[in-house]
Amino acid sequence: MSTNKRRNRGRGILVGVAAVAVGLFGLSGLLRWRGSAQLVSIEEIPDTGDACYRPVSAESKLKAASENLFSTFEEIPVYAQDARPLDITRPPVRDILDTAPIYSSVGLDLEHNEVMLQDANTWSIKVFSRLDNAKPGAPPTEPRRVIVGPKTDVQFNSCVWVDPASGDIYSVENDIGDVIVVFDHDATGDIEPKRKLKVTHRAFAMAIDESTKELFLSVQYPPQVAVYSKTASGNDKPIRLLIGDKTKLSDSHGLAIDTKNKLLFINNWGNISDYRVPGSGRFEPPSITVYPLDADGDTPPLRVIQGPKTQMDWPGAMSIDPATGDLYVANDMGQSIIVFHSKDQGDLTPAKVIKGLKTHISYPTGVFVDAKNQELWVTNLGNSSATVYPLNASGDVAPLRIIRSAEEGKVSLRFGKTQALVYDPIREQILVPN
Amino acid sequence: MHGFGFDALHDEICVTSPLAQAILSFRGGADGEEAPLRVIQGPHTQIKGTAGGGNDKVSVDPVNNEIYIPIDTAKVLVFDRTANGDVAPKRMLGGPDTEIRGVSAVAVDPIHNILAVNSGGAMLIFDRTASGNVKPKAVIKGPKSGMANISSFQIYAPKGLIIAGCDGAVAASSSICAWSVEDDGDVAPRSKIPVRQLTGYTPSGIALDPAHKEVILSAAGQRVRPTRGIMNTVITFSWPEIFN
Repeated sequence: MSTNKRRNRGRGILVGVAAVAVGLFGLSGLLRWRGSAQLVSIEEIPDTGDACYRPVSAESKLKAASENLFSTFEEIPVYAQDARPLDITRPPVRDILDTAPIYSSVGLDLEHNEVMLQDANTWSIKVFSRLDNAKPGAPPTEPRRVIVGPKTDVQFNSCVWVDPASGDIYSVENDIGDVIVVFDHDATGDIEPKRKLKVTHRAFAMAIDESTKELFLSVQYPPQVAVYSKTASGNDKPIRLLIGDKTKLSDSHGLAIDTKNKLLFINNWGNISDYRVPGSGRFEPPSITVYPLDADGDTPPLRVIQGPKTQMDWPGAMSIDPATGDLYVANDMGQSIIVFHSKDQGDLTPAKVIKGLKTHISYPTGVFVDAKNQELWVTNLGNSSATVYPLNASGDVAPLRIIRSAEEGKVSLRFGKTQALVYDPIREQILVPN
Repeated sequence: MHGFGFDALHDEICVTSPLAQAILSFRGGADGEEAPLRVIQGPHTQIKGTAGGGNDKVSVDPVNNEIYIPIDTAKVLVFDRTANGDVAPKRMLGGPDTEIRGVSAVAVDPIHNILAVNSGGAMLIFDRTASGNVKPKAVIKGPKSGMANISSFQIYAPKGLIIAGCDGAVAASSSICAWSVEDDGDVAPRSKIPVRQLTGYTPSGIALDPAHKEVILSAAGQRVRPTRGIMNTVITFSWPEIFN
């Protein structure tokens, strides 16, 4: 039987399996579980040209074949137990990658009128003018400088924060290295951080209280808020730690501080367990928990925002308008920025929602309130851009300006860390969690 | 997420929710914010991670209707595939004789009836239904084998081949290799793709597409930065040698 016939027969079998599966499980939708945990990020890879799907050229195949002594055995298994392993030296036939930035976080240096964007795809921090604006038809915005390279230790980073006094750039790593790295304002290229602070694994977001010189850091799990001296480095320990069952912290992400009203805001995804206790896991709806700024230990929240009316769906970064105390939340899967008043609690609709086609918002994970210029900044994981709105914007509003690091209409792969994958032979699809 | 499963026989996706100590099963064609078909979660499940990781890998055996989840400390729990709610595992594999260390990737070969556990730079091979503190029936390990650790690996059961990570430190593999499920000891792999040498990427996840005779790899920056500067990719190699 030819290879093609075998392949076609295999596909026929798979279609048959799929038909049987649909027949057997077609009613399952009626019985769907209605808890909070849901699969939300497995999607068919777009073939719009935004993602690089690159068949290897005939030329490179020929070159590889001529260099590969084993290529003539391509259809012959070589499994000699004592022989040298059969090394495959031909190049890949395809790859899927995104050459454009995938922006996860935004920080502003209002002294120098600059914007720092954290790129999770190239492990870099790109610095732009605050007034950059990629108009329709214009090429992508060029950064003024880029912090990137192995010496920087920028990797798997989830938060960039700029010290308003010194212009120092802080970057929080969420995964392997477990550090906060600090750069001078003018840092560029492959440069070592001026300071590193070792932090707990799964750190996510930070903010600094200039009045007390304290650095607040949220950690996803075990959920906690660690407070360090602003100048902490090396293996310095936290000054205090907000942690424990009473805190109602759960899979904590975004963090914001209101220094005027002395409040700490944390958002939580509701994935709960005690890692020391088998089978203690449960799901709760996402929430925002509010604490006194000096909360320590197992302190219960002053109030909790939680429930379906809130529209929270994978809340990311948060930022506070110091004048009003309003809390701005990047609502990743909700495709929106949602805003709550400082004293809001319970299950309530946001005071404002920025959402819609005109906004260019796409999987927003970063947000920053620029009180000086009365503007709101948003980073969009889904389209390689940062967008700027009037601070009083609400509804489906067009941005004032766009920093766009790819072509117009870009649809990002939103790859964050492509650690795992599976292949679905029924639909001939690759499933990649982000 | 460091490893999950697709059950082509029942057209389902099987994933974990690590921080909520749960196993979720979805329709194979699930899209958007779709609720799972089933959730295994609760005190009877014994599912447990660590402060820094765990509950991030799961495998499915669609033939024998079982789900395998490695947990802390150094155990593998086996659930009925159709289990739902707060259910106890059918069996547990773990203990010092098993040589399982940490939270290790697992794969099942329903034809040769083996369970393979990639742990501590070794491939531990057990009878599929092994339970308790039992010794592996074979261990592929040693410098000649090149065996390393990888986030997830596969067994191509029709040919009895284990496709896993090799040529690396314990925590990362720079190549992927194929061994026979009948190999034991310090045995050289039958075939190898030196992924990092060819692409600059360190593979972490492995999927097989037998119909097209391809192996599909996920790769993210793993301390070793890819030379092209893009940290996340999915790479497909033609590898007919392992499917023929």
